[in-house]
Amino acid sequence: MALINVAAREIHCKIVYYGPGMCGKTTNLQYIHSQVPKEVKGDLLSIATETERTLFFDFLPLDLGKVRGFQTRFHLYTVPGQVLYERTRVAVLNGADGVVFVADSHKGKMQENINSLRELAQNITRQNKRFADFPIVLQYNKRDLPPDVLAPVAMMDHFLGVNKMNWPRIEAIATKGVGVFETLRAISRVVISKL
Amino acid sequence: MDPQLTSIIVPSEEIAKIEECLARLVEDTGSDYALLLDKSGQVISSKGDGDRQDITALGALIAGVFASSREVAKLLRERDFRASFQQGVRENIFIALIEEQWILCIIFNKGTHIGLVKVLTKKATDELAAVLERVRQQHKARDEVLGSAFRTSMEDTIDLLFRD
Repeated sequence: MALINVAAREIHCKIVYYGPGMCGKTTNLQYIHSQVPKEVKGDLLSIATETERTLFFDFLPLDLGKVRGFQTRFHLYTVPGQVLYERTRVAVLNGADGVVFVADSHKGKMQENINSLRELAQNITRQNKRFADFPIVLQYNKRDLPPDVLAPVAMMDHFLGVNKMNWPRIEAIATKGVGVFETLRAISRVVISKL
Repeated sequence: MDPQLTSIIVPSEEIAKIEECLARLVEDTGSDYALLLDKSGQVISSKGDGDRQDITALGALIAGVFASSREVAKLLRERDFRASFQQGVRENIFIALIEEQWILCIIFNKGTHIGLVKVLTKKATDELAAVLERVRQQHKARDEVLGSAFRTSMEDTIDLLFRD
């Protein structure tokens, strides 16, 4: 639900990072916050538990400056990944223009990835939006895991239905910043194309 | 629904009406601040004393609280909580829902009575609901704003700012 304020010449877009617990959603935002120029970013706001797990959301406003006379702002959010926060995720997803689905590349996390993606599909559909048309980019995070536990990309594509849905898919190591901006560029482009 | 139909474009004349409505609400209630948010947490307009620097974060948090309370309502088989009140030692916040789309938020101190805020907010939400209805009806402005030249410029900006 992008908001275009013609009087103030402003465009706002909301992008949500979704995925199972501990997959690296907050890490993505922290890396973006640490790298973008000062004039572009606002404060990173995190509502987390004492153990640094996301309780409600992380929020990072990015101000892209003027594009053809329009002040353009992207608001990035993460959802809490843990299963018990399902209703909280619905709340954060409200009004989103696009979603980055962060999948954990650990072989043992594949079922959690699938469950989380299914839940996302349900939640988008409940907002009366067609999941098949909704702007989504997949990020396969933690590609630096040891080979014996690292799920092959083809296997993840198969389980997450990437080929069928034609989603852009990016391999990443969020802790080192690998693929983080590529993901942000990809989702921004998809969101803009669907405004 | 096609995502292309979900962008809300608020034209200048409607923004003027919104600002007028918020200014009147602040003045008549003696509040510190009034702001109108989209349900996604984006600030559509704000009026009040001074220039708040934290308004973007405020918008995101208040919308989050409201979206969260909506989920609580569902669990209680309630359709929606239309309004909520948060009471502090110095500052209070009253929040009211406009249709399912916008959130009106009033920040006031102990010099203002909550009853007055409730009554005048009800009046303001009716006015703003009428604005929202008109905004929803008009679609033609989109192409003027978001032409292909805009999208191309936007992609260039994204590539420039979001690089490794």
